[in-house]
Amino acid sequence: MQVNFYATLRPIVGGRTVEFDVGEQVTVKQLVDIIVERFPRLRKELLNADGNLYPHVHVFINGRDAPYLPNGVETVIKPGDTIDIFPAVAGG
Amino acid sequence: MALGGYANRVAHVDLTAGTVEYRGIPEDWARKYVGARGLGVRYMLENGPQVDPLSPDNLLCFMNGPLTGTEANMSGRMAIVTKSPLTGTVTDSHHGGWSAARLRWAGFDGLLVKGKASGPVYLYVHDGVVEILDASDVWGKGVHDTVKFFRDRYGEKDLSVIAIGPAGENLVRFACWVNENDRASGRGGTGCVGGSKLLKAVVIKAAKKMPKAANLEAWKPAHKRALETIMDERNITSPRKGGLSVYGTNVLMNITSAMGALPTRNSTVTSFGPSAEKISGEYVKEHILVNDPTCHACPVACKKEVEIKEGPWKGLRMESVEYEPAWSLGANCGNDDINTVAKLIDLCNDYGMDAIETGHPISIYMEATERGYTNGDGGIAWGDTMAMVELARKIAFREGIGNVMADGADATARYFGHPELAMTVKGQGVPAYDPRGLKGMGIAYATSNRGACHLRAYTPAAELGVMPFGSLKVDPLAWKGKGELVKIFQDIHAFSDSLDLCKFSAFAEGAEEYAAQYAAIVGVECTPEDVLRIGERIYNLERYYNNLAGFREGSDYLPARFTQEPSTMPGSQGHVCELDEMLAEYYAARGWVNGVVPESKLRELGIID
Repeated sequence: MQVNFYATLRPIVGGRTVEFDVGEQVTVKQLVDIIVERFPRLRKELLNADGNLYPHVHVFINGRDAPYLPNGVETVIKPGDTIDIFPAVAGG
Repeated sequence: MALGGYANRVAHVDLTAGTVEYRGIPEDWARKYVGARGLGVRYMLENGPQVDPLSPDNLLCFMNGPLTGTEANMSGRMAIVTKSPLTGTVTDSHHGGWSAARLRWAGFDGLLVKGKASGPVYLYVHDGVVEILDASDVWGKGVHDTVKFFRDRYGEKDLSVIAIGPAGENLVRFACWVNENDRASGRGGTGCVGGSKLLKAVVIKAAKKMPKAANLEAWKPAHKRALETIMDERNITSPRKGGLSVYGTNVLMNITSAMGALPTRNSTVTSFGPSAEKISGEYVKEHILVNDPTCHACPVACKKEVEIKEGPWKGLRMESVEYEPAWSLGANCGNDDINTVAKLIDLCNDYGMDAIETGHPISIYMEATERGYTNGDGGIAWGDTMAMVELARKIAFREGIGNVMADGADATARYFGHPELAMTVKGQGVPAYDPRGLKGMGIAYATSNRGACHLRAYTPAAELGVMPFGSLKVDPLAWKGKGELVKIFQDIHAFSDSLDLCKFSAFAEGAEEYAAQYAAIVGVECTPEDVLRIGERIYNLERYYNNLAGFREGSDYLPARFTQEPSTMPGSQGHVCELDEMLAEYYAARGWVNGVVPESKLRELGIID
């Protein structure tokens, strides 16, 4: 499964897109766990002390922030879904 | 005046008579409207809302706030306030750098310029005086050469030059003032007003002399707390760690495109797809970034200086490829060549015209070409970079089709017989957030007192969850609550714009930090509730001005494309902007009647007796 990273997350994962080995069915939460296991430095960037995604971190599934999907971070990712992970970003 | 913090000296310049008078600030106005934006609008009201923007009677205000040039973080902002020749509303447009601080160090809270000179002039500001001097030698020059001319004349040390370019001289309605080569008071056509007065530049020479706080004991903890929030690694302002500091404002390009909130090809679609990456902050950092300049008293350093390394613009060094102009001259025009984006922004800065606005008539021309609306009057394809560069020149010099485009997006769309192609509110082009994917921006654009604007109420801070320490996050696709949210943002930004602190301070600081710093510098009591109340007063003052200028019921709207044509892109697919629902909520929160401030509200806020 391909995951796109942005901004300050890129230097940590070493590029724009990273391939992850996941099982047949993986939820957003499980995917994030797999990601931080492979890149431990991402843990403090993505997750708070309780292990939940920070509100300013965005895990997009096809452009929609996972917490706003009907099943939230328990949403099962489908083959072909586009996954983008952003740290806090703003400007204007 | 009993208040601390102010120089209590405003220069009233009459270019027709060639005179300068120095007066204090009415204390009642300072208490009610603070400074910069708020105080400038109060002077504009006094001057009369019916004034023709391009007549000598229009007032052009260069305004500081009480925090400008102090030790306060991000306090290097100047507000240029006038009646806009683009929108017909009152407008204020801010720039960074050091000119604002130097104006304060030269001994001024503001310069109020009226009349029209008999020939080109500039103002030379130093040591508490303003001189009106002949600018014939620089009339016709671009901003960059104008800056160089005055640096040669007065020496670069302690010098700021705020100038108009050919666009201002040629009365392009979205011409702007540019400070120190690249820091623009971009929006609203303030440079056009300068051109109409034959005012070429404001040149300020002043050594650093930071004003002291009236209450030093209160200042130290207030300043410390504000600095700590900016430096905190959890905030995007964190120097060299936060996204804003590392990548600049253009860190937004990828996320807005990914979520279907990037107005692309004149807002016909809401995403630039894979092309967004090619004009993003990440791409700039990896390929052309050479330096991270900053402004007075700012540890964030969001400016990004670049150098083009290949192609026709090889060797160009400029700052900065900001998100807004990169969008307007990039995605908005179907242009994914970052080198040409940088070239176009640099041209806009040199011509002295708003880089956000410039993309609008160009993208309208592109859409008109695609749809066959040009009636044989030439044409331009999406992303035709060389043609864009030539069009920018034609606009600045009002040549050919550029003479139409120089009057703005509405005039350009009307010229092609299709006014619906103009993505404007009150005549000003929308910025880089599509309200079908970030709905708070829809109500913010519609109710902005200066026409479509992202900086009156920066709702993406909440819709992207970057409020201080992640304190507030709301669904970008929900409309409920956005009317009330926009009111709060408008009020707090009106206050910070009047201090005058950089808008990006709001990614770390809140009403408590603003209140504590203002109270300490000025020497008054101020609570977070006072901050919101003063901000509300300033916002209503602007609306009152606009109501008197002819913006009555029904003046708050969006282009139909945003309310009637659903997004087709991932992230916001199927969504339109529910403007009517949000407007009802907003007016209820404001206590306005369909966009008009009732007299009772004006009295309640102390705007009228």
